[in-house]
Amino acid sequence: MKIIVFIEQIVSTQVKLQGVDYFDSSRVSEDDLVINPSSKNALEGALKLKDDLSAEVTAVCVRGLKPNKALREAIAMGCTDAIEVVDETIHTDDPLLLAKVYVGILEKIGEFDLVLLGVEEQSTSSYAIGAMLSEKLGLPSVLYAEELEVIDTGYKIGHVLEGGRKIVVMPKKGVISCSDSQYFTPRYTSMRGILTAKRAVIPVWTAAELGLSSNVVGKEAASLVEVSFSNIVLDKESYMITEGEPEEKVDNLLSKLKEDEVKLGV
Amino acid sequence: MKILVFGQIREETIEENTLGVINKLANVSGITVIESALLGGDVSNELIEELGKHGVNKVYTVKAPELEVYLSRPYVKSFLEIIEKSEPNLVIAAGTVYGEDLIPRLAVHHGVSCAQRITDLTVEGKEFHFHTPVRDDQAMKIYKIEGAIKFATSRSGAFFVNENPSGGLPDIETVEISFSDEDKLVKHIEIKKAERTVNLKDAKVIVAGGRGVGGKEQFQIIRDLAKILGGEIGATRACTDVNWIEETYEIGQTGQSVSPDLYIAAGISGAPQHLSGVKAKTLIAINTDEGAAIFNYADYGIVGDLHAILPILKQKLQG
Repeated sequence: MKIIVFIEQIVSTQVKLQGVDYFDSSRVSEDDLVINPSSKNALEGALKLKDDLSAEVTAVCVRGLKPNKALREAIAMGCTDAIEVVDETIHTDDPLLLAKVYVGILEKIGEFDLVLLGVEEQSTSSYAIGAMLSEKLGLPSVLYAEELEVIDTGYKIGHVLEGGRKIVVMPKKGVISCSDSQYFTPRYTSMRGILTAKRAVIPVWTAAELGLSSNVVGKEAASLVEVSFSNIVLDKESYMITEGEPEEKVDNLLSKLKEDEVKLGV
Repeated sequence: MKILVFGQIREETIEENTLGVINKLANVSGITVIESALLGGDVSNELIEELGKHGVNKVYTVKAPELEVYLSRPYVKSFLEIIEKSEPNLVIAAGTVYGEDLIPRLAVHHGVSCAQRITDLTVEGKEFHFHTPVRDDQAMKIYKIEGAIKFATSRSGAFFVNENPSGGLPDIETVEISFSDEDKLVKHIEIKKAERTVNLKDAKVIVAGGRGVGGKEQFQIIRDLAKILGGEIGATRACTDVNWIEETYEIGQTGQSVSPDLYIAAGISGAPQHLSGVKAKTLIAINTDEGAAIFNYADYGIVGDLHAILPILKQKLQG
């Protein structure tokens, strides 16, 4: 069984870069780059299947400033191998173009059984890629999965639903997006995995090797076009308490609430 | 300009965010016709009337056993047919789990991308502008879509529902769709409804915990503080999913929507999925991460460990 996991590398949200600055790659160091937590949920889903079914798990990263770093971490978590796709012509901000790139990668890989990815592409706040990819592939899919059980015909999957959870069954070959749930809580890297990752040879593919030209996956092919990008100016200022011991912070808060005549309690 | 809205049904009524989207569209200049598609095992006249009241001019209905519960393929097939009949300029759905599943698929079939979780929609000349917050709502990207038909989802909770709608009866067109085995590859087994034994909607004070609480036993401090304040407790889905707290207390897109006078968010990062269910007069946030999104929405914020802060707060309020 072969599972492909598409992961995204993002700038850590812990980085103190606000608003548009967060997206300025010149302000970001390699230490700031992490695997999207949503992608880690997908990695965990694949690795659980690897544990249970001896599956082969290939991590693929297209999005990120240093995809190689993310892929080595994926191998350290337990992935069998990894593929890096780097090409400046690929415009990954448009989810449809990203879906086309993913299809190109899967075609080059050849045989596969299951594709897993995170629910959210965080760098573009996009939730569309799972649906778009499955539609492009013509494969069944379940999005927002919270738990997954292997059954004879495929998978029994519980997915997020407003007001509860929906249980469905899906055939063996398909696409699943994994959400931030207890089941998909990612494992840590292991010492053995870290050593394996250090030695791993990660191939680098280009758009041309995938048979994709810039008029198919480049910026000129994008249908989602950015008109403007600006910081949001909040109409209210938060009263932030950052300094002091816990008791001083509480005193500070209570005195400010009193000053502002905010009633605590019913 | 004509818009087609995914008429989402939840517990035999029109889903609230869908009504919000329709109300928003009715107030965007340049939009002249709003149509909606209602799909289901059965579609009642009450649902159609409700859409009409909120400003929908025409409703397409498709009734089939395969549409009883949302599944991607039967719904995509039905919508592609309806889009051909409607010829809208924009197809939009409220950003629910189903809306976010459907819209990107429809966009793929029309060879275009889609805008997601928009918080505003404007018309500039003949262009739709889709306003999309990014980086925990610190920045705004405005997109347009190149293509004959545009596709978008709204953010849950982004648009308010008109409490006194006054529209009339819409036109109705029934559409017949037949489904093959290929449309039924994913099969529905059951929906497990979350138990809602506590109604948080009318709570005036809520103390809510997130992943930062750290465990079931640690939730006691949230309970204690809520009790002292005479309020209720709440939680994010991450906490109910791991059974730190009963699912009835889940607040957010997939839980309850609340509008208290005071909301204390402890160890909550501030994901849109949670905050879309919170409309508080005053929000106090406590989080160790100074960059947490929750502070963008807080009136008062303490950067610190809730396990150190809340016991002291409890003690001082008791004293």
